[in-house]
Parts: sequence; structure tokens; C-alpha cells
Amino acid sequence: MGVLSHTFKPNFLGLLKFINNMNWFIVFFSLINLSMCIYEDQIGKFDWRQTYVGRIKFAQFDTVSTAKRIIVATEENVLAALNLKTGQVVWRHVFESASSGNIQLLHVGEKITTVTGSNPYLVRGWDSASGVLMWEWTLALQNDQQAVYSEWWVQNNKLVHLLPVIGSHLEVTMYNLLTGSNRGATSKLPAVWNNDGCVLTAPYYTCVSGNMGSQILLSLDVTSNVIQIISKPLSNFINLKESIGGNLRPLDNSVVPGFIVDDKKVLLIKENSFEAVGKELVDEMASATVIDGGNEQVLLQTWQDDEKGFQLTAYSISTNSEVTEIQCSDPTTSIPEAEFLAVMCSRKAKEQYACRLLVNAADDALHLMQQGGRSLWTREEALANVVTAEFVDLPVSDTEAAIESEFDQKEAAKVYSSVWSAFSRRLHTQYTQLQNLIRNLQGQSAPEDSTNALVRDYFNLHKIMVLITEAGKIFGMDNLSGEIIWRRYEPGLDTEAVVVYTRRSARHPPYDAYVTIVGKNEETGNGYVISLNPITGNLVGEQTLKLDVRILQCTLLHEPDSEKLHALVLLDEDETVQVFPISAAPLVENLYMYVAEKETGKVQGYALKYNGVSVEAQRTWSVQLGGPGPAQIVAVATRSRLERVRSPGRALADRSVLYKYSNPNLVLFVVEKPDPTHKEVVTAVVLDAVTGALLGASSHRRARALPLAVHADNCFAYLYRSEKHRRLEIATMELYEGQERWLEPGVAFSSFASDRAPAVERQAYILPATAAAAAFTITERSLADRHVLLGLTTGAVIEIPWAYLEARRGLTGGDEALLPYTPELPLPSEASLNYNRTVERVRGVLTAPAGLESTSLVLVTGLDLFYTRVAPSKTFDLLKDDFDYYLITIVLGALIVATYSTKYFASRKMLKLAWK
Amino acid sequence: MKYFYLLFMCLLKNSVCLDYDGWLNIKLEHNINCKNENFCSRGNISLKSIKAGSAVIDQISFTKSHIDELKEHADIDGLYSIRSLVTSADSKETEFLSSVKAKLFLENRLSDVISAWILPNGDVIALTFQVNSYSSHNHSLQYDQAEYPLHSNFYIRHVDQAPVPDTASYIQKLEREREAREKGDLKDNRSFLAKYWMYIVPIAIFVMISGITNPEPAPQASR
Repeated sequence: MGVLSHTFKPNFLGLLKFINNMNWFIVFFSLINLSMCIYEDQIGKFDWRQTYVGRIKFAQFDTVSTAKRIIVATEENVLAALNLKTGQVVWRHVFESASSGNIQLLHVGEKITTVTGSNPYLVRGWDSASGVLMWEWTLALQNDQQAVYSEWWVQNNKLVHLLPVIGSHLEVTMYNLLTGSNRGATSKLPAVWNNDGCVLTAPYYTCVSGNMGSQILLSLDVTSNVIQIISKPLSNFINLKESIGGNLRPLDNSVVPGFIVDDKKVLLIKENSFEAVGKELVDEMASATVIDGGNEQVLLQTWQDDEKGFQLTAYSISTNSEVTEIQCSDPTTSIPEAEFLAVMCSRKAKEQYACRLLVNAADDALHLMQQGGRSLWTREEALANVVTAEFVDLPVSDTEAAIESEFDQKEAAKVYSSVWSAFSRRLHTQYTQLQNLIRNLQGQSAPEDSTNALVRDYFNLHKIMVLITEAGKIFGMDNLSGEIIWRRYEPGLDTEAVVVYTRRSARHPPYDAYVTIVGKNEETGNGYVISLNPITGNLVGEQTLKLDVRILQCTLLHEPDSEKLHALVLLDEDETVQVFPISAAPLVENLYMYVAEKETGKVQGYALKYNGVSVEAQRTWSVQLGGPGPAQIVAVATRSRLERVRSPGRALADRSVLYKYSNPNLVLFVVEKPDPTHKEVVTAVVLDAVTGALLGASSHRRARALPLAVHADNCFAYLYRSEKHRRLEIATMELYEGQERWLEPGVAFSSFASDRAPAVERQAYILPATAAAAAFTITERSLADRHVLLGLTTGAVIEIPWAYLEARRGLTGGDEALLPYTPELPLPSEASLNYNRTVERVRGVLTAPAGLESTSLVLVTGLDLFYTRVAPSKTFDLLKDDFDYYLITIVLGALIVATYSTKYFASRKMLKLAWK
Repeated sequence: MKYFYLLFMCLLKNSVCLDYDGWLNIKLEHNINCKNENFCSRGNISLKSIKAGSAVIDQISFTKSHIDELKEHADIDGLYSIRSLVTSADSKETEFLSSVKAKLFLENRLSDVISAWILPNGDVIALTFQVNSYSSHNHSLQYDQAEYPLHSNFYIRHVDQAPVPDTASYIQKLEREREAREKGDLKDNRSFLAKYWMYIVPIAIFVMISGITNPEPAPQASR
């Protein structure tokens, strides 16, 4: 015992020390612990970041510097250098997302030159190796309205600006690239033949002019000192009787100025005359360019054939022959609307071509190929614009599925009528389990193919993320590695207000998981429904469904049908209801929908009912959230489908319970409306979506609403910009029933059978940052704390405990569970989830529960993708990351050895004593 | 037809937040016992002043045919819908729609709660009907008279001004605390035990444990 008390002593000293410093507040702060930061060795352990640049607008090979790079400028206003070998981003500059960041010109010479903005323009020079800004000057044009038609290029170290005035003249100005000084004034070249179908193939400006049937092709070198117009009748090149004539298209990034007439004939401008290429365009949609391959010029064409797949042809202009070694026809690859961005070819020792072709596609993918069409790398730039995403569970492994079906009561009753068959089945499963175990021990686990490896792990941390992008490309991505498992391009999908539903998880073998994407048709705006298996990316069930009406609202049925599939219910603009699959229509019961008109502030509710034949929708309520005047719904927040309610109330300091108003049908609307006295007024309204009853509302004067609102359980939070104080504020609301419970425990809540209004607690806080995305963390059973994740414009993702945002915070009365009120929210840098991995242009934060109660999975979308996992109440159900398994095993082993050896020695001692 | 008058005074603690006052007229229509149309008149609510909140409710009484149709709706778990048209001094008619379960409405002896939500500038944003939470589970409620009056309670609910981050009082609080600290008048007049229990308890435990662990050496067993 003496030894025991000795080992206890240090602990007591620690306790003493602790108590010495103790203060109840400190204890409380330690409970909600703010140190969400990670250790240095944990960087990249649970998280990853992928950097993207967006759809490529301009690209050029950097041939000057020794490091092989591709310099790109994108639609997302990003200037970046990509590694030629791997395609990774070497350096990147993200400009303003507004029109002031638009990149008008990219020129790669000794230094990189860019022209950005839209009158005034910024001309900048960058060092290609490091991406450092070398020089910058501004350029403002006098003629602001015409400025949009400006054309830019660099020639002989001069920046040339061309401003065509249709039907009148061309204005050409040359500037010194480094300083911006222009020698002499703008030269005005008379060109009455100038029309809106003209093309620029620097330095030639080419037009088709004249009456139908007798058009003339005109071309002018705008930079030469002598005005010299090349003009030829169009009928010299094409048969005007067969086509309308006069449609010009410039060659994509060609070394020789040239253009395509009527998507057919390729004309080059050489020595002040037109020269027709001996080969016509193979496909109307083909992208064509002329490259300088050693001592001959080669015309390259690429297009996507419906049957033959990706096509690439090469034709030598000087020798009038096909260059077979560059050509390619690959039915397996699909590059929709392929377009040459940059091509570089060299010819070593006369024989072999070595080409690098940078090809852009309609699905925003960037491909680098070599001669013969072999792909070196591909960048999926569609991922720079992720609209929405869904986390999908992986299926269990075959052995586990067998066990599950064995213990599934219904299944078991069907298959195993007798005890003996059940017993033999049990033995069989155990035998296979044993086999697996032995195989694992031997380390001979059979080489599994990639789809087989996608099985659920014990804690359900491994999932598949289905990402929907603005370009209409859908990706299946592994959440742990960030690897793309499958991709699917839907050209007709408009993803403006797209929704994704997991209609069947992978939990129901033998049925596969089932995900449905509801979007709009790009051309007509009608409904467009895609159903696929999220594990493999293959279409299932309804496949792609093009409706002939617009969709007002869609939802999933609560109850699954006999195949465990949740039916998709669509309400279209004629207020008719469609149910997929149609066999699930009788299951529609107690289903309510709401439709909010964004521009007017009108919200309507519908009750859906099956009448024996079909499902019909009855309009049951309508409110006008902005009143009779103009108003706009800026944000709508509904609870997540994965959200659960953990407890009916919260304990107060006096040991009484404050019951929460846990209505599952609540929706928060944030409405902005102009006001004659207060400029803009923001009204936040909490509605019951079933009855249309208002349960709480508050208004902010002189404020602008932001499309950021979140809701979970009885908590609401939304952001707005206070115009009066010129700052961002976050307002929170909480609904409570009060000290007494309205319903008996266990009684189901009904929106129709309640006319009592809950007490609304409200509070507002200053947010000392600008937020671009907001979300609540979700855990499996909502037992862990709830945190708010805010994506800031600085590129950080901040985690704020709800305790800081609580609406009851600041109530006097000595409630120890509440923090004293502070008007400004603390945003410590440790609370940043993505430490130093900045996520540019955060657009959305998506959360999903893991199988572990403590953990919530987080995906941040924007220009970059960032994935991590958070533990709002710390990892109480998980051993520490650096848990020392070896030490504890050694200690246990040593203890066992010590026990038995002391036993042996004790018995020997006893024996010796007995002999005495 | 008999008119049922109900005068309800709605006293609101913060009716001052309204920066506008005016009259309000609400025309009520419902979807039962209408011959050919979808909705027909049920009554009228008029307010002279929104600020005062006193309303005059003027509604029809239900006849046997009304009740029968309501019962029909109740049998199929249908809804009883009310359409209301709100007119105020400076805006044209705004339409609102609200529904209650026909069954609950019958069970509650045709009584409902009407609430109108009003913005600070006097605009009505919602008009909702709700039935009292069902206290009576009396399904055998008899409807055997000729006429049944409607019991409606009308409330005006104001959209309150939301709180703003209160920096001034927070700074004042900090000032006060600082002053108090400077003055040093944070006199602790708790008892000695209350003040230092955290030091005493561990020492006591420590003494106790060391007392137990070092007992008097047991006398050597004699043989």
C-alpha cells in the first residue's frame, strides 16, 4: 500500500496545482475548448486541398525560360503557371472576380504580359519563373461604350490596341510594353467595310463585305505603315451558290495568320495575299491550327466524332500530304468540343515529330497530349465551380453483407425455415470469416480492383462525394484521397439551382445505391433528372429524364418503397405532381411542399395527396413575406435531411428545464425590401412550411441581406450587412416552448394541431470578417456540440461554437451555462480549419456526418477544394492520433509476466518458510 | 342571418415599434358551401387603427349545410381553407391563403385563432388561421342546432425590431469593471471556509490517505 500511495502522489500534486489556478470560468472555457487547431505532424493527415484555376481562356507554352511551363489565363480571372510534366500549379494569381479582373490578353515572351479589367485596363508584366509582378501601368480609353470591342496583341515589344468602329474606321494605338507611353497619336484607318462578322488574326483584320452573291474578302494589316488592303472575291475560294457565305472563324492560336471560311475552307495570309490550304475542314465543328513543325507548316484539326470518338488529323501544307505520326483516332476518349489552346511541335533530325498539344474541352477539362494523341495529363477544371455535393455511404464488404442478411429478421425468416439450415449457414459464414482472417495474416489479401476496394470502413469515414459542377460535369470523388473515381459529362444540364438526393444508400444489399440529380435543361429550362449509381457513376433507374415542363419544387418521399427506394416527387409549373417511380404514388401521404418566388417574396404551400388514381397538389397557404410592395427573398434555410434532434430541452442554472420548440417543419426566409425611410430593411421570418404559420420574425433597418442563412433544430442564424455601421453582423434566433412542455413526451408533433407561438430569443453579433459561405456541423446523432462553419473571403474556414452565437447569451440572471455577452465574435486564427491552406473564393461549405458520433466531414468548395473532418466536442469516442499502442502492449505484457513470476517466487518463498 | 360580434383588444407591449398607423380591412372567404365558385364570403375584419389593435369581427354563422360539407372534408382528412384579402390605407388588395384541418376545426367547436403579422411600416406579410390545440378529444360532438356561431380570436403580431450588437453597454461594463478594480472595492466578505475550501479539501484528503496508507506497524506475530 505504501507503494500505491507513492504513485498517487504526483497526481495529487497535479490536482492541487490545478485547483490552485482554478476559476469556474476557466473550467467552463476548457469545456467548450477552443483549441481546434492541429499539431504540425497532423498536417494533411485528415485533410487535403486541390487547387484549380478554372476554365482556360488563353494558354501559351513558356519556351523562353528553362523550366518547362504552360502559362494559362482563365475565365475565373486566374493567371497561373502549370508544370509541363505533371500539370500541377507552380504559381497562381487570383484576380478580382468582378469585371475588373477579366483577363483580356495573355502574351508570353521574355516576360508574361497581361491586360486585365474593362476600361480602365491594367497592363502588367510578370516574371515567368516566379510569378512576381515586374511592372504595371493603367490604360483608360476615352470611348467607354466602344471599349468592349477592343482587341489586344503584342507585336515587336509593343502593345497594340485595336478598336473597330463598325461601318466607319479602325483605331489602332501602339504602346510601349514596359512604360505605356505611345509614340504619336492613335492612327485611324478608314474601313467602311467593317462589320460585326470581322475577325482579327493579328496583325490582319479580315472582313467579308459586299452584297449577297458577290461578297469580297478584305484583309488589312493594321500595324503596317502603308495601308495595303488585300481584297479578293469570296467566290474564288468557296462556291457561293452552295452556302450563304461570309462566316469567318479565326484559326486557334496559329503561327500563321489564317481563318476558316464557312467552317470549311482554310485560308492563310502569306506575303500579302490569301493562300488556300489544299485540305478542307473535315468536320464543321473541328478546331484547326497551323503549326510550325521544323521547316514545314502543318495544319492540325481536332473534333469529337459521335461514333469514332476523339479525332486528330495533321496535314502538311508544303508537301500536301498527311502526317500520320501525329494523327489519332481514339474511340475510348471523349473530349467534347475539343479546341486547341496551344500547340508546340519540333522535329528532331528530320524524322520524328515531338508535339505538345494543349486541348480545351466543353466540360472545362484541360488535356495535354503528345503526337499520336497520347494523353500526358488531364486537369478537371470543372471542379473550380462546384455547385453542390452529396456525401454517399459506401457499400459494406461481401462478408459483412452476408452477416447482415443473416441477422436481418425478415430475410432470415424467408430463407431459413429450419434451425439446421440457419446453423449450417452460421458455420459457413464463420468459416469464410476465418479464411479472410488467415489471408489477412498472411498478407496475401487478393489484389482487389478499384471498385472492390470501395467498401465501408468501420467508422464510416470513407465515403464518396458526388460533386455537381457548373459546366454540367458530375464527379464521384473519394473523400479520403480526393481521387476522382468516375466522371460524367451532361452537356444539357443547367446546374443553377440543382439538387442532389440520395434516394437509396448502399445499406440495402442486393440493391445498389441510388442518387438523383434534379436540374434544368440548358436550352428550355425544363426539368432534367439524372439518376445514377454514386459508386460506379453508371446510370440507373430512370437514367436521364428530360421533362417537358419546368419544375417548381421537388422532394423525396419519407417512406421507401418495397425496393428501399425513396420516390422522387416533382411539382411542376402547372401544379401537377409527378412521382418517380410511378408505383410509389400510393405512398404519398402527409406530404407538404412550399414554393418561394425569389423576386416577389411570395411563398406558397401545397398539400400533396394520393386520390386513388394520381397524386394531386392542393394549394393550402400563401403569404407575402415582403408585404404588398417589391421585395426579394435572398436566403432560405431549411434543416438538413441528416439532422436529428438530440434533446427536448436544456437545463438551466436553477435545475429547471427550458424546453426547445422542436418543430421539424421550420424554414427561415431572409427577405430584403426597399423602405422609404430606412433605405433597405431586412426581415427574417421563421415559417412552418406545413401550415404557413409564422412563428417568429425580426427586422433590421438599414441593412442588406446576404445569401447566408443556416438552420438546425431550434436554432437559426443569418448574416446581413449593416449599412448604418458599415460592418457584417450575424443574427441568431432560438425558439423555445418555455419551462413547461406543450406535448407529452413521445407524442408526435403536428403542425396543424398547434396554435401556440413559441418564445423567440434573439441576439446579434459583429463578425469582424466577410463571410462567403456558412454551414452547421452535422453528426450522426447530433449528440456532439453544434458548430457554425464560416467560409471567409480571406480564404479561411472558421469554426465557431454555437455557445458563442447563442441567442440567450447576454441574458442576466447568473446562468453559468451561458457566456457573458460580448458584441464582437472572436475569430482566433486557431479556429481556422484550413490553417495555412487558403481556399480561394470560398463558395460553399458542405457537411456530412460520419459513423463516429464525434466527427463531422467537411468539404469546402470554391476555386479550390478543401476536405477535412471536424470534431465539435473533441474526439471523445476515438483514441488519440498519437496513441502509443506499443507502449501499452509492452506494459500489459510486462505486467502479466511480472504477475506470474511473482506468483512463482511467492510459492517458493512459502515453501522455504514452511521448511524452516 | 345573424351576425356575431367579437371585440378583441390586443394589448401589445411594444406596439410603439410601429412607425405607421392606419386602418386595415380584411375580407374573409372560405371554401365550403360555395355553389359554383371556389371561395365565398365568410366575413369581414376591420381595424380603425393598427396601433390600437382593436378589431371588429363580423362573420356569418354556419348552417347545417356548412357543417355537412365540413364533415365531408373531415372524413377524408381534408382541409378547410380560408382566403383573405387585406386592404389598407395605402396599398392595394393583398391575397393570403391559409388552411386548417377540417376535422380539428369541427372538434374545436368552430373556433379558430387568426393572426395578422405586420411589418413596422404597416404592411401585412401574413394572415394565418390556426385551431386551438385540441383540448377536447370528443369525437361525438353533436351538431344539431340550426345555426352555429364562429368563434374567432384575432391577434395582431408585430415584426419586432431585431437587437443590434450592443457595443455601448459592453464598453460601459468594461469601464465599470476597470474602475472597480482600480478602486479595489471588490471586497470579498465570504467566510474563511468558503474562500479557501479548494486548498483545504485536498490537504484533508491527502492527510487522510497518507493516514490510511501508513498504519501503525503491526506487532510482530509471535510464534
